[in-house]
Amino acid sequence: MKLTKIAAVSVTTAALAIAASACGSAEPAGEAAPTGSAAASGPKFAGQSLTVWRLGAPNEVQDKFMADLDAEFKEQTGAEVQVQWIPWPDAQKKWTAALAGGEGPDITEFGNDQVAAWVAQDALTDITELVKSTPDFQAIPQNLWSYETIEGKIYAAPWGGGTRAVLYRKDWFEDLGIQPPKTWEELVAAGKKVVAEKGKDVDGFAFNGGSDANMSLSPFVWSAGGDFAAFEGGKWVGKVTEPAFKEGFQFYTDLVAKEGVSGKSRLSQNSVDISTRFAAGKVGMYVTGGWDIATIKEQSKGKIGDDQMAFFSLPAKDGSGPAPAFQGGNDIAIWKDAKNPELAAEYLKLAAGKEFGTRYAKEGGLLPLYPEALAEFASDPVQAPFAETFKVAKGFPADPNWAEANDTKAVLQNAARAVIEGKKDVDTALADANAELETILNQQ
Amino acid sequence: MAQTSTIARGGGSSSAPARRRSHRPPRRSGAFPPRAIPYLLLLPGLLVIAALLLYPLYQMVDMSFHRVGLRQIRPNPQPAEFLGMGNYTQVFASDLFWISLRNTVVFAAVTVALTLLAGTLVGLLLHRLGKKMSTFLIVGIMAAWATPPTATAIIWKWLFDADAGVVNWALNLLPDGLATALLGRADWSGEPWLNSATTIYLVLIVAVVWASFPFIAVSVLAGLKSIPSELFEAARVDGASPFTIFRRVTFPLLKPVFSVLLVLSLIWDFKVFTQLYVLAGGTTNREAFNLSLWAYTEAFSAPPKMGFGAAIAVVLTVIMLLITAVYVRQIVRTEDVR
Repeated sequence: MKLTKIAAVSVTTAALAIAASACGSAEPAGEAAPTGSAAASGPKFAGQSLTVWRLGAPNEVQDKFMADLDAEFKEQTGAEVQVQWIPWPDAQKKWTAALAGGEGPDITEFGNDQVAAWVAQDALTDITELVKSTPDFQAIPQNLWSYETIEGKIYAAPWGGGTRAVLYRKDWFEDLGIQPPKTWEELVAAGKKVVAEKGKDVDGFAFNGGSDANMSLSPFVWSAGGDFAAFEGGKWVGKVTEPAFKEGFQFYTDLVAKEGVSGKSRLSQNSVDISTRFAAGKVGMYVTGGWDIATIKEQSKGKIGDDQMAFFSLPAKDGSGPAPAFQGGNDIAIWKDAKNPELAAEYLKLAAGKEFGTRYAKEGGLLPLYPEALAEFASDPVQAPFAETFKVAKGFPADPNWAEANDTKAVLQNAARAVIEGKKDVDTALADANAELETILNQQ
Repeated sequence: MAQTSTIARGGGSSSAPARRRSHRPPRRSGAFPPRAIPYLLLLPGLLVIAALLLYPLYQMVDMSFHRVGLRQIRPNPQPAEFLGMGNYTQVFASDLFWISLRNTVVFAAVTVALTLLAGTLVGLLLHRLGKKMSTFLIVGIMAAWATPPTATAIIWKWLFDADAGVVNWALNLLPDGLATALLGRADWSGEPWLNSATTIYLVLIVAVVWASFPFIAVSVLAGLKSIPSELFEAARVDGASPFTIFRRVTFPLLKPVFSVLLVLSLIWDFKVFTQLYVLAGGTTNREAFNLSLWAYTEAFSAPPKMGFGAAIAVVLTVIMLLITAVYVRQIVRTEDVR
C-alpha cells in the first residue's frame, strides 16, 4: 500500500517537474534578447508585452515592416510586440467584441473615417499631449489631423493617406489593345471587351455590393456632382434622390444589370472577396487602394505580379479628369483599455514617427504624410494616380450614425440590389433609401 | 451557493436514517427529509441550468428594456437608460421584422416537414435492411449529421456556385427538351442561386434537411426496434398493406417519439443562423434575414444596439416557447386520455 503510494507520488512529482521545466525553458529563450540589450540602453519595459492590431491581410512586405519595427521597439524599450492581423471587413466586429469583453489590443490601426464613431464609444485614448510634445508629429501638416481631432482633442495619429483608384490587369489590356479608360463610356467598353475575351465568369469591372460598397459607388456619384447627404439647418438631409446622385447610381447598377461587365451572382462581394478573385485571374478592373498589390502577388503565387497589374484614376464621366474618390487614410491609436498606456505611447511615437511612418505608408501603398516624402511620391509613376486623385478626394457624411447606414442597414447596397434584380425602379429604390438614410443619420 | 449545499447535505443524510432507526411511526407530514430528497437531487442540475441558461435569459430580457450600447457593458459601465417598451415598439414597427418573421416561420414549417418525412422514410428503410447494410448506411448518414454547420453551409454554397457549381453544371447536362419541360428553361449557366431571398432559402432548406434528417432516421429506427415484431406479423397475416401497417400500427406506437422529434426540430429550425450567415454572404442582404440573423446584425454591427438586438431575441424566444408549450400540452393531454 505504502510503497505504491510513494511510487505514485514520486511519478506525479517527476511529471510535474518535467512540465515545469518545459515551461521554464521556453521563457528565458524569448527573454534572452532584451536582457542583452538591457545592458546597452537600459530598457524600461523589459519582459513586458504589447498587443498590436493591424488591419488587412499580412503579406511579405508588411511582415518585414512589422518585424523591423518591433525589433527596433524591443531594442528601445525591451518589450515584446504581439501583432494580430484583422481583415478590414471584420474590424468593426472585433473592436466591438474587444470593448465589450475588455480583452483588446493596446495599439490598433484605424480607418481615419471611423475615429469619430469609436471616440463616441469611448474606445480611444486622448493623445493630445503626446502629439504636442513629439517633434515628428508636429512635422505632419495640420490639415491632415482633422479626422483625428474631436472637440479639440486628438485621439489618433495619421499613419498613411489613402485614396482609391482602379486596379486593372495591365497584361490583359495590352493583349486586347485596350487603353486605360478616360471616360465612363470607355470604362464600360473596356469591361465588355474583357468579359467577351476572358470568359463569362470574369468580371470586367467588378461590382462591389458588400460591406465597403460605398467606397466603390461614391466616385461615380461624386463625379456626377451628387452626394449622400448634407447637413442643413441643424439636421441631415438626404441627397440620394437628386438627379446627379441618380446618374452615378444608375451607372453603377447598370454595370451589372445592363452592361453585364460584372457577374449577377456576386452582388454581395466586398473588396476582399474581389481581390481574391482578382488573384485567381477572374477580375479585369476594380476600385481599391495600393494595399491590395502585395496580397494579390502572394495569393496568386507570383502569377499576377508587377507586370500584370497597374492603377488608373477612375475617370469623370466626360473625361474631364479623375473622379473624386473617398479620402481615406489609416491612423494608429492607443486603445482606451490598454494595459500599459505609457508603453503604448512609446510604440505610437516610434511607429508613426518619421522613419517608420514613412516606411509604413510607402510599403503599404499609401501616401506618406511627411511633406518631403510626399513630394518624392508624386513623381513615382505607380503612385501618381493616387496622388492625382488625392487632390480631389471627398468624405462620407461626418456623423457617427453613418456607420449604421453603411454597415448595419447597408442602405445603398440593398437599394442597388433591388434595382439590379428588378424589384424596384431606380427612383423608388432611391426614394426609399433617402428616407431611411435621413432617419438613421438624424436619430439622436 | 456553497451554504445551501452544505445545509442540504447535512439535513439529507444525518437526520433521516436516525429517525427511522428510532422506530417512530412514519408520519408523512412530518417526514421532511424523504420528501425533500428528490428536490435535493434536482438541485445541482437546477443550479447549472440557472447559471448557464436562466441568468443569461434574464440578462437578455433586462437588456431588451434598456438602451444598451458598448458604454453600458464595458468594465466600469455607465447606467443603461430605461426605455420601457421602446425597443419592442421599434421592433414591431420595422419592415425588417415582418420580413424576418415571414422568412423564419416559412423556413421552419417547410424544413421541419421535409426533415421528418425524409427521416421517417430512411428510418423505415434502415429497419428492413440487413445488419451490414444498415450499419453502412447509418455510418454514412451520421457523417452528414456530424458535419459542423459552417462546413455544411460552405459545401452547399460551392455546389450552388453560379459559375463553378455542380448544380448548374448538372442542370445544363439535362437534355434541353426535358429541362425546359421540367424547369422552364434549358440554359442554367451563371444562374445566381444566392442572390434573392427565395433561392437562398431554397439552398438553405436543402442544406439543413441534409444535415438534420439522419438524427430523425436513427431515432425512428430506435423506436421501431422497440415495437414487438408480432404486431407487424399479425397485421401482415390480416393482409394489411405496408402503408396501412405504418398508419395503424407503427405511427400510433411511435407517437411519443414523433412528438419529441417534432418539438426538437421546430426549435432547431427556428433558430438556424450559421448556415444562413454563410449562404447569404454576411449581413448585407436584408431581404434574407431571419430573426436570429437580424438580431445579430442589430446587436453587433457598428454602432452596436444590444438592447434592440435583445428585444428581437426575446420575441423569437417567446414565439418558440408558445409553439412548444401548446404542443407539449397537447402531448400531455393525449397521453392522459390513454
